[in-house]
Amino acid sequence: MPDMIALSHPASGHPQQRQFNPYSENGGTILAISGADFSVIAGDTRQSEGYSIQTRYAPKVFRLTDKAVLAVNGFAADGNMFVKQVRQRLEWYRHAHAKDMPLRAIARLIQTMLYARRFFPYYVYNILGGIEEDGSGAVYSFDPVGSYERESCRAAGAAQSLVQPFLDNQIYFKNQVPQPGHPHPKHLPLTTVIQLVIDSFTSATERHIEVGDGLEMFVVLAKGSPLYGLENIDGVQEMTATNDGERLFVVRRNLKRD
Amino acid sequence: MNSLANRFSTTGPINELRRAKSVLEDDEFTDSAWGSEAGFGSLAKGVPNFTVPSVPDPSAFLRLHTDDYADPSCRIKIQHGTTTLAFRFQGGVIVAVDSRATAGSYVASGTVKKVIEINPYLLGTMAGGAADCQYWETYLGIHCRLHELRNHERISVSAASKYLSNLVYSYKGMGLSMGTMICGWDKTGPAVFYVDSDGTRLKGDIFSVGSGSTFAYGVLDQGYRWDLTDEEAQELGRRSIYAAGHRDAFSGNTCNLYHVKEDGWKFIGNYDISKLHYDGPGETPGAGYGYDVRVERSAAIAVQA
Amino acid sequence: MSIMEYNGGSVIAMVGKDCVAIASDLRLGNQALGISSNFQKIFPVTDRIYLGLPGLATDVTTLREVFRFRVNMYTIKEEREIEPETFAHLVSSTLYERRFGPYFIEPVMAGLSKVATGGFKPFIAATDLIGCLNFAKDFVVAGTASSKLYGAAEGLWEPDLEPEQLFETISQTMLNAVDRDAYSGWGVVVHVIEKDKITTRTLKGRMD
Repeated sequence: MPDMIALSHPASGHPQQRQFNPYSENGGTILAISGADFSVIAGDTRQSEGYSIQTRYAPKVFRLTDKAVLAVNGFAADGNMFVKQVRQRLEWYRHAHAKDMPLRAIARLIQTMLYARRFFPYYVYNILGGIEEDGSGAVYSFDPVGSYERESCRAAGAAQSLVQPFLDNQIYFKNQVPQPGHPHPKHLPLTTVIQLVIDSFTSATERHIEVGDGLEMFVVLAKGSPLYGLENIDGVQEMTATNDGERLFVVRRNLKRD
Repeated sequence: MNSLANRFSTTGPINELRRAKSVLEDDEFTDSAWGSEAGFGSLAKGVPNFTVPSVPDPSAFLRLHTDDYADPSCRIKIQHGTTTLAFRFQGGVIVAVDSRATAGSYVASGTVKKVIEINPYLLGTMAGGAADCQYWETYLGIHCRLHELRNHERISVSAASKYLSNLVYSYKGMGLSMGTMICGWDKTGPAVFYVDSDGTRLKGDIFSVGSGSTFAYGVLDQGYRWDLTDEEAQELGRRSIYAAGHRDAFSGNTCNLYHVKEDGWKFIGNYDISKLHYDGPGETPGAGYGYDVRVERSAAIAVQA
Repeated sequence: MSIMEYNGGSVIAMVGKDCVAIASDLRLGNQALGISSNFQKIFPVTDRIYLGLPGLATDVTTLREVFRFRVNMYTIKEEREIEPETFAHLVSSTLYERRFGPYFIEPVMAGLSKVATGGFKPFIAATDLIGCLNFAKDFVVAGTASSKLYGAAEGLWEPDLEPEQLFETISQTMLNAVDRDAYSGWGVVVHVIEKDKITTRTLKGRMD
């Protein structure tokens, strides 16, 4: 629990010093991968502090618009408040412009919102996934004070160092030499990506105590994109709210609870 | 008497509350939060404003939670470790950087863009806090454009770098961390300025910044001449970043190379540092910069002869 | 800074079908500065046991000699080669002798142990720096890239891999893990141990 840490014994009569510690670490891992015309943004649902589990279901991945999904990891209180504020700014944008903010603009907005707290940072690692105005899948990753970069695959949080090397190998084909005449594909199909995401989280659950309980996976499809067999996946649920053309789905899975 | 003293003191609990309240009020709805005025649009109000924790020493608070030199276990890790270089020569300015970001021993990213394209004539490099460099150099870009609109003339590299250095100087002691080179071409010709968050601003011909800078300087000093051709200069920049990427654990992955000429900067290329080691910048296997690769090559030539 | 990060380096061992594999990186550093790209951390103990010693380089050299001496004494006294299980306990007790001033090494071992029926059974084990044994059935890791190795191995490893598949799996695990670790890399060496042969291959890794 965020609290004041006493540095000397209170009854000692000596001057006391107290430290203001408003931060905590709530574990968990988030992950996003983009394809040619889709984006997958996932996170586990365990929320912990130290060795204790606070809850087995605390979402870390949030729908912002039909084409933008934000995953937040780090200090849950800061994360939830940050998502709330981003959503408010997006709503104001809708009122002013009668359309949803484009993904690259949301990314820049998140940078300025994080940097506005440069001297009192949100302890949150953000990953933004979705569809760009040109219809391509995109992932933006942020540090807590707002430096950001567009990538196509990023893991963050407690198990980032477990998941990222696996993804480097399976998504970017790092350290794999292509067969002559068969270069590595530039983009992977959606079903492969979903399988890799599930595998990543089951692996992370196996070896990291802060990861587990549930997996929540958002899939954003570009305008006019086929379903790529998404309709056949167990327990898929459509979350699309507008008629802009992009479609948003959520897939939920159980992870080990030990 | 005590309550009277408290009321007018600047450090008492009442004042703390007053300051906390004023922080909250800053967060309240303002016109600048609307639509296009969001983000950097808040410049309409003048300078950007920042939330500061209501504690007696905000910078000590920040240091406690972010400075990983003082406390490696602190939660908010700010990127360290980098190699960047820039040098002036007859044909303009060469800017070369690596692309690695590390958090402790973990390589957080191998694709960081450490050259910030401020505008078509100005480049800034990134070392230290990634967010500090990205944010303030974007901000600098806005002000360079405003200068153009006001004066019908491009800002000089000297003026742009001084704008940045004055700006970071005004935040001195608050915990900003940046070591940057502002590079460009203006009326005076090619120019490179080193600016850092201590407020240092230096004009010079050769600079290298970051944990791998000593390795880069070694190659750079050895191969540098004013009358380098464009190709020679680009090769020198690339070779220097390779040397740093090879020896320094916190530098590596790829090298981004830029060349600034009279008509603005040009992106030359992105080179995988491991590929430079084995094969060099071209497509010839075995033509790499690596020591053992070169030994093997000369041994093969000796066998042929 | 952790003492493991002073020189850097990582080791992993994996079980396959009637075979085991052990791999390490080749970097020797002085904190951020890379010194050597040919620093062996894995040593043969017998014809069927290999020992990996990631950690402080000075202790790598010392422990290597300590174990050579102790294994030789064992062979002379017992007039037979040491079995992997026995060797694991030798490693454990040697480290625990220095309980309050330990060697900064986290040993990893891989080998084939004789079974009563005359065949061989894969064996891997690892200990912490004071000798707490971990007999895993799948894989063991140690060194500065351990968390990255755990993640990659957990994703890539499967039971009953043939020697060639096991080589491919351990190589990919090692290469991709050390590429995400600042203190490991600069080349990789892999040993695959089968009942009648040992295959050692040096892999080209990223040199940054």
